Amino acid sequence: MSKAPALVVEGLTTEFRIGGAWYPAVRNVSFSLARNETLALVGESGCGKSITALSIIGLVPKANGRVTSGRVLLDGRDLLRLDEAAMEKIRGNRIAMIFQEPMTSLNPVLPVGFQVAEALRYHTDLSPKAARERALQLLQHVKIPSAARRFDDFPHQFSGGMRQRVMIAMALACGPAVMLADEPTTALDVTIQAQVLALLAELKSETGMAMIFITHNLGVVASIADRVAVMYAGDIVELATVEELFAAPLHPYTEALLYSIPRVDRDAVDLKPIPGQVPPITAMPAGCRYAARCPYKMARCEREVPPLVAPAGAGGHLGRCWVRAGDGAGGHA
Amino acid sequence: MTAVMTAPRPGFWIRLRTTILRHKIASLGAALVALVALAAMLAPWLSPHDPLEQNVVLRLMGPSADNPLGTDSFGRDILSRILWGGRVSLLVSTSAVGLAIVIGGALGLLAGYIGGAFDRVTMAAMDVLLSFPTLVMGLLVVAMLGPTVANLILAITLTAIAPFARIARAPTLAVKERDFVEAGRALGFSNLRIMGIHILPNIVDEILVMASLWLATAIRTEASLSFIGLGVRPPTATWGGMIREGFENILDSPWLAIFPSLAILVIMLGLNMLGDGLRDATDPRLRHE
Amino acid sequence: MSEALLEVEGLSKTFIARHGFLGTAAGHVRALSGISFSVRKGEAFGLVGESGCGKSTAGRAILRLIEPDTGHIRFKGEDVRAAGARRLRQLRRAIQIVFQDPYSSLNPRRTIGQTLSEPMAVHGLGSAAEIAAAVRAVLAEVGMPSDAAQKYPHEFSGGQRQRIGIARALVLQPELIVADEPVSALDVSIQAQILVLLRGLQERRHLSFIFISHDLGVVRHFCSAVAVMYLGHIVERGPVPAIFDEPLHPYTRVLRSASPVPDPKAKVIMAKLEGEIASALSPPSGCHFHPRCPHATEVCRRVYPEWVQVTPERGVACHLYPAAGSVPA
Repeated sequence: MSKAPALVVEGLTTEFRIGGAWYPAVRNVSFSLARNETLALVGESGCGKSITALSIIGLVPKANGRVTSGRVLLDGRDLLRLDEAAMEKIRGNRIAMIFQEPMTSLNPVLPVGFQVAEALRYHTDLSPKAARERALQLLQHVKIPSAARRFDDFPHQFSGGMRQRVMIAMALACGPAVMLADEPTTALDVTIQAQVLALLAELKSETGMAMIFITHNLGVVASIADRVAVMYAGDIVELATVEELFAAPLHPYTEALLYSIPRVDRDAVDLKPIPGQVPPITAMPAGCRYAARCPYKMARCEREVPPLVAPAGAGGHLGRCWVRAGDGAGGHA
Repeated sequence: MTAVMTAPRPGFWIRLRTTILRHKIASLGAALVALVALAAMLAPWLSPHDPLEQNVVLRLMGPSADNPLGTDSFGRDILSRILWGGRVSLLVSTSAVGLAIVIGGALGLLAGYIGGAFDRVTMAAMDVLLSFPTLVMGLLVVAMLGPTVANLILAITLTAIAPFARIARAPTLAVKERDFVEAGRALGFSNLRIMGIHILPNIVDEILVMASLWLATAIRTEASLSFIGLGVRPPTATWGGMIREGFENILDSPWLAIFPSLAILVIMLGLNMLGDGLRDATDPRLRHE
Repeated sequence: MSEALLEVEGLSKTFIARHGFLGTAAGHVRALSGISFSVRKGEAFGLVGESGCGKSTAGRAILRLIEPDTGHIRFKGEDVRAAGARRLRQLRRAIQIVFQDPYSSLNPRRTIGQTLSEPMAVHGLGSAAEIAAAVRAVLAEVGMPSDAAQKYPHEFSGGQRQRIGIARALVLQPELIVADEPVSALDVSIQAQILVLLRGLQERRHLSFIFISHDLGVVRHFCSAVAVMYLGHIVERGPVPAIFDEPLHPYTRVLRSASPVPDPKAKVIMAKLEGEIASALSPPSGCHFHPRCPHATEVCRRVYPEWVQVTPERGVACHLYPAAGSVPA
């Protein structure tokens, strides 16, 4: 099995136009995704995690958004350099995406079996009959009960969790190397979420697929991720394995976040909320964007943007912080 | 603790200028409407002659220095008749639409808020009213009750009530479901207060858009009725009546029919542009930028 | 042990889905099937469950925003359901509600000051000057600057709007607040701010809460007692640490083990739980949970389990616990 990463993102920057000027929503984001790895992209609303995924798969709304720099390497090709026709061959085929809202992510006027088979017909040369059979297999694979009977049912006849499974079936139809999952379980009940997460884990281990899982829920991250990238205001501020992140968070934001989450497995402790708010995208401060809310801030933090580096001796655990990661050797800029 | 940082609100004139630049069509429409309305209101001071003053010697004369728009078959000054005719048209249409907004809007709001049998019965009644084309309703009323200004207003109001009821009911149903309405009930507010203070201001946008478009319809209806002779009786000047009279001389004195038609065109165009612009301006997706 | 502030007994509500012009009934949704619980003064009582369990309906039924079909609601001993219009209006001062969606809970056409002063004006609680002072005071209490009163909701973020919604619930000086998923729509770091705010209010004003949520972590943090709901029934009820650390009802166990925890060593039990939450239109016979329950037996399919008070503090409705004392205390 090749050791080459499934996906490499280097220096990705995506900007949006607001009131006439361009502002970066994703700034210099870099990471690599190994085969069969789950990388969790975690952060709060507005941190840029969804835009990162949309930039990778080429779905940034063109009306007021643009990817301004960076490389996204999949199968040795830079996706950002491909034209739309070439990207259409790759989307749904080599790289697939599933979304948060099961109510709106399926076409309401087409039967679900048709929608799953559509992906197959578009990307492979299966005959319509063969595509239908394969689509049925996929629906059974994602554990839709009575899949054969429900093959021609419409999305509104399924519950939220079932629609999510259909969307997963569509995404997996062509055996992609990378799956982008944008908060796929956020709108689901907790017990249904557990089922869908289990399904994703199972499918992943069968196919060797790599997954970028976007969420704001650190509990879900702990459950499914191999590595974690924490984002804040468009930057990756910490990158670590899931054990490292929870055992010894490097960035003050990660640390503060962990202290501010109420937990069902512990008796009530005093939560320490993070004071203040994320700065608006149109008024980002110079220097470290978290500085205004950080209890450890130094003068340097407000002047210069810290690089994403590993503190001495911390191996692959990267942090973007002058106080905690200083000027360690190596790491991404 | 949490600082709210918003820029100070710019002054009124600057905001007005920004609004006009952003909504050019609506502003142009508003300007046209204002022009016509102003002209009509100032008719007594703007008209060079008495609109009823006949002068056989000067009949059917083209535009001249004395009669900028010419004279009609009775020698009356057309410009003056247009200005005064505008007053009738605007009076009839604004009264009718105003009444329809109050009656229809109230019915729609009540039906949407109360729901149940009241809603179903009211909307069925509205469906009946809607099945009458405006002109037919006008014909019926005027034929049965006589061609006075009041009856004209009545006729147009009757046809306008149902659309306004519908346009008030739909957003009421939506607003009713929002949490702040439930909060009002939880805080002990009366139904009247909730309807008047909480629901009504949130449905006004849709009603306003409809109002400007219906004003155009009302003006057209009044003109049509006058044209077929069921409107305000001569010798009172009305645009429709003028077109009717001008029709007889359309081949050799076309200006008799053209100028009143242009007047109707201008105001209807203005109202439509205003309505379209208002619709865009009140689109909730564009509101909070 | 303080007296019960609120007692709910046998509360039921069935919604009838109607069709067509004549409104013929098309289906019955049993949102609440005889639930009972009580809330003490100063206590935060949690109602947890997933979609369709009826927790939101229960919260609204207590305020009579939804009229229950049967059952008793007693507030400080007084029968709430029997209250006439005027008495209900007075009672509404004592029991208030905070909503989930900060973008729908404020009238966009009213300033914050108008929104906050209106309830006081309607109930005649002082002169205009006194009301204005009270508005400033409550804004400060929820951590908002006093110049917020002149602004409109769209000028504020979700977290700030939620604070304003909480302020509105406080202006009539209530004793009990029904909080319907008050932090679910907020970002994680804002959630903590609001939870701390609510806790502070609880302590300073001796407020009681009915805290409705699907998030067990939040309920564990905030509440001292909790009732777990499934398809219109309370399946288990008791003190929070006991219920979450040693759940008795199979559904509570599933809910607990499926709740993600920020600890990689405690991965979500990828439940062998199959099946969907049944529809409230046609719930399964007997115990509603039996199709998904690993311990289901024949009696579970036929008969809905009786409520058993296994300890003075804890109760459960499950055939696994047929009598009090069948659980090691």
